[in-house]
Amino acid sequence: MNEEKEPQLSGEESLKLINEMIGKAKQSYVSKGIASIVWGILIVVCSLLTWMQVQYKIDLGFDVWLLVFIAVIPQLLSSIKEKKQKTFVGHDEITMRYVWTTFGICIFILSFYSYKVYGNNTASLFMMMYGVPTFITGGIFKFKPMILGGLICWGLSVGSLYTPLATDMLFMAACGLFAWLIPGIILWNRYKKNQACNV
Amino acid sequence: MVSGKWVFLLATHHFPLTTKITAMQQEDFSPQDSLKIIQSMLEKTREDFSRDDFYFLVWGWVTFIACTGQFVLKNLVKYPGHYLVWWIVVPAVALTIHHSIKDEKTSRVKTYIGESMKWLWIGMGISYFVLSMILSKTGWGNAVFPFYILLYGLGTFVSGCFIRFKPLVIGGICAWALAIVAVYLDYDYQMLAGAAAILFSYIIPAYMLRSKTKSVTA
Repeated sequence: MNEEKEPQLSGEESLKLINEMIGKAKQSYVSKGIASIVWGILIVVCSLLTWMQVQYKIDLGFDVWLLVFIAVIPQLLSSIKEKKQKTFVGHDEITMRYVWTTFGICIFILSFYSYKVYGNNTASLFMMMYGVPTFITGGIFKFKPMILGGLICWGLSVGSLYTPLATDMLFMAACGLFAWLIPGIILWNRYKKNQACNV
Repeated sequence: MVSGKWVFLLATHHFPLTTKITAMQQEDFSPQDSLKIIQSMLEKTREDFSRDDFYFLVWGWVTFIACTGQFVLKNLVKYPGHYLVWWIVVPAVALTIHHSIKDEKTSRVKTYIGESMKWLWIGMGISYFVLSMILSKTGWGNAVFPFYILLYGLGTFVSGCFIRFKPLVIGGICAWALAIVAVYLDYDYQMLAGAAAILFSYIIPAYMLRSKTKSVTA
């Protein structure tokens, strides 16, 4: 019954609709690069603070990696706000949700290993794990800075096997920089350029 | 009722973009027409994945045999070179490369999911390689299996989500549960945990995928 009321779309109209949908999808929190920038800054800051503590024997009095949880809160709020405003979710976004949720679960399990059994010797494993979603995201979106970021994470993960803990933290900061912060800034600039073009 | 919005979402999910645009430029679409095309593309995607279960089965069985084989050689036969059983992965690598080259040659339509799966498994392959390098430096005698089990879960969980196939998703979750349990087990029993993880996350879902595809194509 309802199908009879459904308007017939011409080829041009369908293409226009698809273009509009793609345009809206590009404005998401993820594709704007905000999430990438937030996490990039966070990993760089936490790694450098840890490096400072190890290198100069400074005790900040708290675990700097707990800052990660503080960053999760604004991200969650932003996602909830965006979800309320959206009338649809693009497949790209769903795919990314799967990849990054899985990454979150794996980081949680790896943190559990680190706490339970392996102590401070897990920096290489964390860097290996950072490479996985970054490389997959870059590949799916054909976004070379992220593909490269993933490869750099894996390279630094192997490199960190031959360096002391303090240097490992500098490597981890480099991972945050190349895998998330720089690609995030590139995405943000693209978004701003697109916005300027559309005005 | 099929709204334009859902046609768009389904189409981008299962449908190669070039084919879609060309088709739409040529003719007008009713929602029923769109659904028919999407359904045919769904069948095509399932057929593609029935070919992909080859990789799950090869790696599933190879790893399962290696894990259980090492356990038997170490604990029952008391053979000191028990770890040599892992050389079985070398022919599996060769077989995988040969099969993937053959697959590339047979011109298959590129779908969004197919491309996503490709990048996922390239990423997983590199991760397994990097993990092996890390563990060869830290020592194979330590608890190495929980890390591998964690990665088994990652690959299968994401694959299951991509192709909307629950047994793979459940298999991934089982693997993660075993990855946590394995931390509390002795090294020898971690091998068995590895075998169980690969059974639940690779082998069983791959057979289920195969039988589902057969029933659909029949």
